[in-house]
Amino acid sequence: MKAERSFRQLLLALAVGCALNTTALMAAVTDDDIANDATTTNDVVSYGMGLQGQRFSPLDKLNADTVKNLVPAFVLSYGDEKQRGQEAQPLVHNGKIFVTASYSRAFAADAKTGEELWQYNHRLPDGILPCCDVVNRGGALYDNLFIFSTLDAQLVALDQDTGKVVWKEKMEDFKAGYSNTAAPIVVKGLVITGVSGGEFGIVGKVEARDAKTGKLVWSRPTVEGHMGTLDGKDNGITGETNKSWPGDLWKTGGAATWLGGTYDPDTDSLFFGTGNPAPWNSHLRPGDNLYSSSLLAIDPATGKIKWHYQWTPHDGWDFDGVNEFVSFDLKQEDGTVIKAGGHADRNGFFYVLDRTNGKLINATPFVNQITWAKGIDLKTGRPEYIDDNRPGAPEGAEKGKSVFSAPSFLGGKNWMPMAYNPNTDLFYVPANEWGMDIWNEPITYKKGAAYLGAGFTIKPLNEDYIGALRAIDPKTGKIVWEAKNNAPLWGGVLTTAGNLVFTGTPEGYLKAYDAKTGEELWKFQTGSGVVGCPTTWEQDGEQFVAVPSGWGGAVPLWGGDVAERVKHLNQGGSLWVFKLPKTS
Amino acid sequence: MTLFRLPACILLLIITLGNPVSAAEQSGHAPADPLNSPQWGVMHSRFLNGETYVFDDKVKVLAPDSAEDSLNVPITFDASALQGVEKIVVMADLNPIPGVLEFRPKTIPARLSFRMKLQQGSPVRAAAKTADGVWHVGGAWVDAAGGGCTLPSTGTATGDWSSTLGKVSANVWQRPDNNRLRVRVMHPMDTGLASGIPTFHIEDMNILDESGALLAEMTLHEPISENPMLSLDVGKHTGFRLEGHDNNGNRIDAEVVE
Repeated sequence: MKAERSFRQLLLALAVGCALNTTALMAAVTDDDIANDATTTNDVVSYGMGLQGQRFSPLDKLNADTVKNLVPAFVLSYGDEKQRGQEAQPLVHNGKIFVTASYSRAFAADAKTGEELWQYNHRLPDGILPCCDVVNRGGALYDNLFIFSTLDAQLVALDQDTGKVVWKEKMEDFKAGYSNTAAPIVVKGLVITGVSGGEFGIVGKVEARDAKTGKLVWSRPTVEGHMGTLDGKDNGITGETNKSWPGDLWKTGGAATWLGGTYDPDTDSLFFGTGNPAPWNSHLRPGDNLYSSSLLAIDPATGKIKWHYQWTPHDGWDFDGVNEFVSFDLKQEDGTVIKAGGHADRNGFFYVLDRTNGKLINATPFVNQITWAKGIDLKTGRPEYIDDNRPGAPEGAEKGKSVFSAPSFLGGKNWMPMAYNPNTDLFYVPANEWGMDIWNEPITYKKGAAYLGAGFTIKPLNEDYIGALRAIDPKTGKIVWEAKNNAPLWGGVLTTAGNLVFTGTPEGYLKAYDAKTGEELWKFQTGSGVVGCPTTWEQDGEQFVAVPSGWGGAVPLWGGDVAERVKHLNQGGSLWVFKLPKTS
Repeated sequence: MTLFRLPACILLLIITLGNPVSAAEQSGHAPADPLNSPQWGVMHSRFLNGETYVFDDKVKVLAPDSAEDSLNVPITFDASALQGVEKIVVMADLNPIPGVLEFRPKTIPARLSFRMKLQQGSPVRAAAKTADGVWHVGGAWVDAAGGGCTLPSTGTATGDWSSTLGKVSANVWQRPDNNRLRVRVMHPMDTGLASGIPTFHIEDMNILDESGALLAEMTLHEPISENPMLSLDVGKHTGFRLEGHDNNGNRIDAEVVE
């Protein structure tokens, strides 16, 4: 009897063990977890640290006083001979940290010890056509899945525990120039993605799939004239065919949604930016070329466009318009609050829009030199062009008139996401000061071939710096402080309630600044350029900061004369995690 | 017939609780491995979960004495002399990746031919689990010059793999007892052991008849040769459907019609 009882106790113990396991399995990422991501501090379950994309953490254990005690906790090497740019934002959930890497790889590790749990190496065909390095910017968590997109334009959902493929969907044909590098977002059970390939005459689109199965729910092309779909049925043409595009050019019109988007629950809107119209030579396509170089507010349930705002109508400089639109409360002097959004465009202007209707509130330069427009007319919302600064039309087989334009096409700010701190009411923008010689050349469309019709060389504007992290007051557009950097800034920004701003430099540092003054408070050399997105969370009473390290991205490929400043920088591929140790 | 069970682990403890009489009967010696492999104990615990087994001549493994091509070693197993076979696990003790495949016949004979990669001379075994829970193990020793698992596949080396990935070709021979089906699926089946080439292989494949009824399920591992070629006895069926996935989630979906 006694022996039997002890066996029963053993079985009971085993049963309890199973129950605990079940609880762990139950800790799936829910829509609520994602909706609350900006305010919960023990996880990071979305790109942007909250779907509005503020990249603000309410954590304050780590602050301007304690940041000097921030020390490395571990480093995870991505291994392999494949290095190149590491632009991802890590995600943290259930004690695991998830990060994507160059060449469409994904890793999961124990978030405290760094012990690798699994890695997934997506098999890429030889013929992929990424324009601007083989980067990946991160994944999305939903249920027990880690979802990320690949350079051959596929969307892969992996089991968070094992790294095994649960579902995979082809987004587009990589042979036509499509690829994907952006982090997806999950909104109300739908995984929302864009596409890359604007340099190959693709047609941009935003798509929603059932996040648990990958099944397509809706698709919304971003170039006027193309038909959208909902549940497999036609769902209306985008815009009005030929309203702002001549002839057949809209069929290969670009407007790639290559940087993904944000979501605002207050207005129930997806905010997706669109890329340059194709080809770059604007003389081939008179008109505004909607919806290129624009912001689209999209209904997440149907994929219908609610409103749009075009940053650069009839873009002739590859200014794109994909940079993130970050929802925030614009506080007025009379105490009222406007539901607004901030955006730092490649074209050099910092915009504040009313996010309920897309009306322009303010637009101010955030770089020192802008040659293509005198300003943005606040009444019409349109740029006041300087016509002389548009590169000329080619004559016959000869290239057209070359102009010197600032910013360069790599932008006053490129893909690297800025941060907004509601405590300081400031945006922190990783800006770059550079210009370009640009001219147009004859071009015709050929599937899978570059479709630019332009030539260019990028040049720095100053001897002592290209990059400048700038704190911008969205109420006035004034630059409150700046921190200069020799090489161009190419990494994302993080800000916290501890009065801190973090960003990385191509020279290899992760740096922390005082959010109010811009004073540099801390830095750490990671061994290769930091062009990824830092993130922070709290686990077992300690605050952690994670950032990928690995120099690459578009600058070493397209940077022209900037090469002088960056050619000595070494490649890498690793995830650095720091922590503020507990003090007893 | 001598049966063997590993010393107590938790799993076995529970089984023992449920059936203490048979546990008392099982205290015997391990049967000697006819192939005298140092790895057999590991194979037993890893692939047969340490469960009861017997070396059994009814499970035949046909293989060359010596592999002429370490990348394509032809193997046939035949466990059709046993009744009630639920699954057959194929393993190669001395391969760096010893798991080769698992075959779960539903309505067709427990017999399969395929080609595999061998890194060095090794036992190649087929273990058939019958309805009574006992594994019946047969095997053959295949000598090999080596290197089969650490070379890049031809498809990967040439870059051709992406244009043919997942394409299926098949042939059916009508025979008096059992029709014979041979299928080939284009896939590089990279083991992950060649420098700089991550593992990339078909994971699961099901064979269904023309009405959609399942004939057999298969789990394939890295040592299966590039562009897997599988031959099965398929009863009187003449039309088939092939479904599967690789470890990247690429789908295999093909119909075999006369």
